Amino acid sequence: MAAEVSSGTKDPARADKVGADDYLRIVDIRKEFDGFVAVDDTTLSVRQGEIFALLGGSGCGKSTLLRCLGGFEKPTAGKIYLDDQEMNDLPPYERPINMMFQSYALFPHMTVEQNIAFGLKQDGHKRDAIARRVDEMLTIVQMTKFGKRKPHQLSGGQQQRVALARSLAKSPKLLLLDEPMGALDKKLRSQMQLELVNIIEKLGVTCVMVTHDQEEAMTMAHRIALMDSGRIRQVGTPDEIYEQPTSRFAAEFIGSVNMVNGRIEEDMADYVTIRSPKLEHLIHIGHGVSGFEGQEVSFAVRPEKLSIGKTEPTQPHNKAEGIIEDIAYFGSHSVYHVRLANGTKFMANFANMQRWASESLTWNDKVWVSWGENAGVVLTS
Amino acid sequence: MNAPWLKKLLPHPRWSVISVPYVWLLLFFAIPFLIVLKISFSTLAIAMPPYTPVLEYIDSALTLKLNLSNYLALVTDSQYFHAYISSIKIAAISTLLALLIGYPIAYVIAQMPPSSRNIWLMLVILPSWTSFLIRVYAWIGILKNNGLLNNALIGMGIIDEPLKILHTPIAAYIGIVYCYLPFMVLPLYTNLVKHDKRLLEAAYDLGAKPWKAFFKITLPLSKAGIIAGCMLVMIPAVGEFVIPELLGGPDTLMIGRVLWNEFFNNRDWPAASAVAIIMLMLLMIPILIFNRIQQREMEGRLT
Ligand SMILES: Nc1ncnc2c1ncn2[C@@H]1O[C@H](COP(=O)(O)OP(=O)(O)OP(=O)(O)O)[C@@H](O)[C@H]1O
Ligand SMILES: [Mg+2]
Repeated sequence: MAAEVSSGTKDPARADKVGADDYLRIVDIRKEFDGFVAVDDTTLSVRQGEIFALLGGSGCGKSTLLRCLGGFEKPTAGKIYLDDQEMNDLPPYERPINMMFQSYALFPHMTVEQNIAFGLKQDGHKRDAIARRVDEMLTIVQMTKFGKRKPHQLSGGQQQRVALARSLAKSPKLLLLDEPMGALDKKLRSQMQLELVNIIEKLGVTCVMVTHDQEEAMTMAHRIALMDSGRIRQVGTPDEIYEQPTSRFAAEFIGSVNMVNGRIEEDMADYVTIRSPKLEHLIHIGHGVSGFEGQEVSFAVRPEKLSIGKTEPTQPHNKAEGIIEDIAYFGSHSVYHVRLANGTKFMANFANMQRWASESLTWNDKVWVSWGENAGVVLTS
Repeated sequence: MNAPWLKKLLPHPRWSVISVPYVWLLLFFAIPFLIVLKISFSTLAIAMPPYTPVLEYIDSALTLKLNLSNYLALVTDSQYFHAYISSIKIAAISTLLALLIGYPIAYVIAQMPPSSRNIWLMLVILPSWTSFLIRVYAWIGILKNNGLLNNALIGMGIIDEPLKILHTPIAAYIGIVYCYLPFMVLPLYTNLVKHDKRLLEAAYDLGAKPWKAFFKITLPLSKAGIIAGCMLVMIPAVGEFVIPELLGGPDTLMIGRVLWNEFFNNRDWPAASAVAIIMLMLLMIPILIFNRIQQREMEGRLT
């Protein structure tokens, strides 16, 4: 369902704190498996201190891209630079990068403490220095009481904290998270999302995460790269991706959306009108768009941007009449599925602000949906 | 027919299934063991069978006569002690060699793509399908003075005189390691093939070079497979008779040969039984230790 755009967890002052704009540079990375292109000439920059999410459906190549960063896959072509150092030829054990694996990959024969100490030992630190760092990490992830346990004696959430502590213990320049919440149930998931972000931000580590869950990407990441069949379709902050999708794919992938096709009828500097065969009335956009008269475009508008009511709006455009076909009640809001006479369907959200509200809209009622002139976006691709 | 009292008398049908392994163990392990145990406490006699009864009922008196001299002989006659030590030594060295050879084999097979794993595994097991005796005899053909190995080495000009391998301890080691290798490889393979590749990736990720990751992750995690493989090789190897007899030399002293000598050459069944019982006891020790370790691990997993 519609993902709420919530940036609540992220420190707003953080934008100033981030360092170099292209701390991590991925240049024209391509990865083929026996001729099958999993990652297709991808270029990306990640800022220092940023939490960056690779978001996409199953099989779009996001894990492969992440594994290229970790050094577990060798890119077919392209370069990876971290802090201006080329990573391509470094094996995983020489990269200043640590990864939290999808199902954590904790060492089952080692205690929590030994797991966290493992990476530090490889660097040949002194014993007491390692012990101190392990304690510090356990405190950060609030697992001090569990240091002597084995992984199988921990709950899923606790295992995740240990995995996080282990991957952060070496203070990597880059932290990779592969589906960090994949193994947790829904309730624990939202709690751990916030906690993870807090810890990562506190330590100021740059982080690239992979997820197929848009809500997760939206809550956790500062910026999101939307991936589709090996290519990056759009990069932006969560609200940019949600409110200003640049393609039909992006608009449909994130949240739910009403989309109609049409042609630009009037293309003015300060407004545009679109004629859609599906709508009786014109679509009026209150700003100029980069297009030309007669161009085929799509118009996308989010359900919560629609108004729904029984009386016909006075405006001459941006409205449609239909009947309520279905009502989905979500507690905080309801989604009305409205069917126009020609079969086109619209979804409109209605916030349930009063306990007995609902303005007595019910099944098979004749209603009008309408939207403002800046409510939707015009998509040309 | 369906009278409840009858039902009570007859065992529950489930019982007949559960009891199968117990009946098997009773018939083919417990009873033979008790018979051997009994013979080991009897006295040698020129009779048929060649020993005196332990339990006698004469003139309404039941007498139990336990003859301990067979066991005392094992302690006092150093020949037995040496045979036990030598058996364990030969078995232990063979087990170690089998582990050193078998581990890499199992490891490599476990790394292969699943489609070719089974073929290689078959190749490891395949020799076991021919008779054990024939395989040991084949080694005689390979190792003897004008055998395949020596002829090949001489033919290549590496040596001038044939190496004396047959009828030395080396030949016995070769034979034991060769015959028992599949028993080492199989449990190791079963263990290694289940390893999660991501654990190794996690180790690399944390800065461990591949060899270090192997010793810190793969090796400890294959402990159960190593123990199982070693038990499967060591236990039968201690009692091995045919291989040292056919391939080993006069100085390849193993308890199996002592047993054979007592039984067939000396016809001293009681002494042979005592030797067998003590050997069994010696073998029980590692089995019990193994069990204990496994139990502790299981408990650790539960709590
Ligand atoms: N080792 C491999 N050999 C061959 N093909 C592979 C290999 N790894 C991945 N692929 C293919 O590359 C594509 C991308 O895989 P990838 O694991 O990156 O997907 P993903 O975006 O992480 O999807 P998911 O959300 O399902 O994990 C898939 O089509 C997959 O089949
Ligand atoms: Mg994946």
